[in-house]
Amino acid sequence: MIDEKVELLANDEVAEDFYLARLRASHIAAEVVPGQFVNIEVSATHAPFLRMPLSVCAVDRGADTIDLLYENMGPKSSSFSRLRPGIETRCLGPLGKGFSAPITSARAVLVGGGIGVPPMIFWGRTLLAQGVDVALLVGARSAAKHLPDDLLSGCSSDLRRATDDGSLGHDGLVTDLLREELARGECSVYTCGPHAMMAAVAALCIEADVPCQVSLEEYMACGIGICVGCVVRVKNEPNNSAYDDYSRICVDGPVFDARHISWEHS
Amino acid sequence: MDLSIDFAGLSLRNPVLLASGTCNYGRELQALTDLSALGGIVTKTITPQPRGGNRPQRIVETSAGMLNSIGLQNPGLDDFIADKWPFLRELDTPIVVNIAGHTIEEFGEMAARLEEVDGIAALEINISCPNVKAGGENFASNPAASAAVIKGVRSATRRPVIAKLSPNVTDIADIARAVEAAGADAVSLINTLVGMAIDIDKRRPLLGNITGGLSGPAIKPVALAMVWKVSQAVQVPVMGLGGISSARDALEFIVAGASAVQVGTASFVNPNAGVEIVEEIRNYCVERGIEHIGDLVGTLQV
Repeated sequence: MIDEKVELLANDEVAEDFYLARLRASHIAAEVVPGQFVNIEVSATHAPFLRMPLSVCAVDRGADTIDLLYENMGPKSSSFSRLRPGIETRCLGPLGKGFSAPITSARAVLVGGGIGVPPMIFWGRTLLAQGVDVALLVGARSAAKHLPDDLLSGCSSDLRRATDDGSLGHDGLVTDLLREELARGECSVYTCGPHAMMAAVAALCIEADVPCQVSLEEYMACGIGICVGCVVRVKNEPNNSAYDDYSRICVDGPVFDARHISWEHS
Repeated sequence: MDLSIDFAGLSLRNPVLLASGTCNYGRELQALTDLSALGGIVTKTITPQPRGGNRPQRIVETSAGMLNSIGLQNPGLDDFIADKWPFLRELDTPIVVNIAGHTIEEFGEMAARLEEVDGIAALEINISCPNVKAGGENFASNPAASAAVIKGVRSATRRPVIAKLSPNVTDIADIARAVEAAGADAVSLINTLVGMAIDIDKRRPLLGNITGGLSGPAIKPVALAMVWKVSQAVQVPVMGLGGISSARDALEFIVAGASAVQVGTASFVNPNAGVEIVEEIRNYCVERGIEHIGDLVGTLQV
């Protein structure tokens, strides 16, 4: 982990309000594993003030580059979207703990929702390269909010989409697709997306006794564990101190075992 | 060029410390900054018992700053001594331990217990956390209660006692005078300002604790005015903090009357901010022919 000086090589809109940034970041590219994130400076002024935490969606170790996929939805992402190729900025990473490999089977089910899809791309490609059978289930509000096929290529052997409005793929929730996958037998599940979606995915997996790793998100300041802001309530052991009621998403996560999260409190 | 200072009996290699609650207990920053290049670090607040802290959301960015409502999540005094202190004491930098109790007696008991721990440079007494209902604010806004806390700590420790003051008061100079009279060796100011942010669509507060503490560049002018005011009201040295994110910011506080400064929220944006500020202060002084940083303290001309 270092605070690396990086060069922005590309920063383009790839779907409605979704941007793909490519950075030359040799240290981070060499070190990063799927599920980890970076905290990138998107402004040299105090507006916006804090950095922007983003998970890494792809890495090219030969070219020393990492890709970050983000939704333009607020002042920080808007500021990032205006940065042009050629500029240098600072990027702290790689941060946090990533996904770990399937334990029980050679079949992985990845469930991504909205802007939770990027870490699934990196993880899906890694698993496929390891010979794991990967199903990628993606949910979004509408067809326009889905990432284009080329971004999702090479990260699954079976890509299935769902939309809330029925404009693409399954008309309904991505968890409907997950139920079908769980019915097919043994697998490991990995998920990242809106909190309600991940809670539903976790509940289905816990009920089916299927291992599930969730990549959580919370408002974050430092990204390195010093502010203790981005926490999640976890299932604390009765004998542990109250200090352990909350875990820091940036250093103890962002990937957690779904069974360790206190979903009723989060 | 000499950056070293004497602060309330402490010999510091330079006047820049990391503020409480912005460097946890040092370990996370070790890979990203040279802690030995700092004047010191102030630990995240320790309370007598472990605290889980407030429910999320705990952070929200605001204009040129941020609100936090962490709620003093900390391991408690016993686990601090057992788990955090062995790492901290090995660092080649002075460690100021920040403490808070729920009652006046608890502050004194914590100071007494820490008296048995070797290597602590000083105690910073947090009578001003805005995010804890019991304690915190109640002491900081009342001169008599603030004085009672400091008096109890003073009688329990031989170490330098730094009282950390709240800006959420009618007259911060009154509080500063009260803690000075009660035996504080120094004062540090300011803690965060109470603030809030609202999601207008949901009509709900963004922070789980409803209100939080505002920090960052947005509060620097407020902090500077208070440091200037307090430095004229008391004889003890003043540690200035509040929105410092550059050497020029730090020098403003020093000129206003602070003998030392703390860098806080800036470390969230740049984990090496404190060390960079030390280097930039040195460069400034060399360029201007200033031989001792102490020569700049309180040199404001009005």
